[in-house]
Amino acid sequence: MSNYAHPEALVSTEWLADHLNTPGIRIVESNEDILLYGTGHLPGAVHIDWRADLQDEVYRDYISPEAFADLCSRHGISPDTTVIFYGDKSNWWSCYALWAFRLFGHTKVKILDGGRDKWIAEGRTLTREIPTFPPVNYPVPVKRLDEEIRAFYDDALKHSQAKLPLVDVRSPGEFKGDITHMPEYPQEGVLRGGHIPGAKSVPWKRAANDDATFKSADELRKIYETEIGLNPAEDVVAYCRIGERSSHTWFVLTYLLGYEKVRNYDGSWTEWGNRVRAPIEKGA
Amino acid sequence: MYPPKLQQIVDLFEGLPEVERREILISYADRAVHQAPREGETFDLEDVRKDEECTDTVGIFLRVDANRVAHYRVTLGPQVQTLTKAMTSILCKGLEDATVDQVLDVPSDFVPKIIGAELVRARSQTVYYILTRMKSAAKVWLNRERSENA
Repeated sequence: MSNYAHPEALVSTEWLADHLNTPGIRIVESNEDILLYGTGHLPGAVHIDWRADLQDEVYRDYISPEAFADLCSRHGISPDTTVIFYGDKSNWWSCYALWAFRLFGHTKVKILDGGRDKWIAEGRTLTREIPTFPPVNYPVPVKRLDEEIRAFYDDALKHSQAKLPLVDVRSPGEFKGDITHMPEYPQEGVLRGGHIPGAKSVPWKRAANDDATFKSADELRKIYETEIGLNPAEDVVAYCRIGERSSHTWFVLTYLLGYEKVRNYDGSWTEWGNRVRAPIEKGA
Repeated sequence: MYPPKLQQIVDLFEGLPEVERREILISYADRAVHQAPREGETFDLEDVRKDEECTDTVGIFLRVDANRVAHYRVTLGPQVQTLTKAMTSILCKGLEDATVDQVLDVPSDFVPKIIGAELVRARSQTVYYILTRMKSAAKVWLNRERSENA
């Protein structure tokens, strides 16, 4: 991990196995599979559901700063707690949860490299015991960092019109407009296929090894810098379908390659592809 | 309306608090592995495939006895989601003693009654997938029967 820009943003399965009971850390599991946590999880890990816990039930938006403070308090997380995220699907959802924590200004965040799959593949302990922690006081964040690490439709449109870097991390078929959903997933209501004009295609999966760990910094630079010409000082917007796969890419560019300004467009294709008068491009 | 054993399962789930509902779903999911074909069993129809609607391969094995009762076995790939595993066990149990015709007539509206509105969301739509595959196998079996009798 040493040649990453911020190697401290990752922990290995070996390290975590030795630090499960270390004071000052909280392990958080976030999955796509809604019931997976209940079938067994890392000892001491709490569950944060990307939808039920992090998203507002009425507005298409994230929870309020008050609700975030309450969520953290319930799990015994204070602003000084180092939160280590892991989950299924090569850490899509754990990167999404980490990004949401960063939205509220929580800085002590890390990812378990390889996530749930690597932990299990190595035969490490799982438990069904649900831990409880004494509530702590988590001050209500003054604001969400929406302007710093999040892009909205208008931001993505301006980026497209100004020909600034837009990274589409969906599958090649989604990018070309041949399909409107992920391979192996049902169609979930996007009317048009294609991509934001000017976006470059780098499927998120290219940043991950088969064991769900992240590729080396050299491999990542080759993908994002040699192949599509990004550079660390650029203002980059990443998107996918609902912002989860692009959270993975956001984490890679921000923490592993040290890019200074990367924003995740969480409205992504479910907003852009359906929006009246939003321009799209088709083809590779 | 539903086959009797499926109705019993619906009755069990309806009105359950969310925490208990999830616990019981997980216990059904744990038992999905026991729905696989057993040594020496033979089937009238075997349909093993990977569809776009599900995250891994699903095998449906159907035997229909002399009374036209459908007996299902199901295999699931390791990437199949927990809710899909739960629905596999629920359907294998709930459709016991149902005829192929009754299987085809099962309305899918029992699914939200079992898994609850909170879990019927985007990304959870594959909970209908196993029922669809079981019905598909029943339909193929009926079509074969009709063509053999024609």
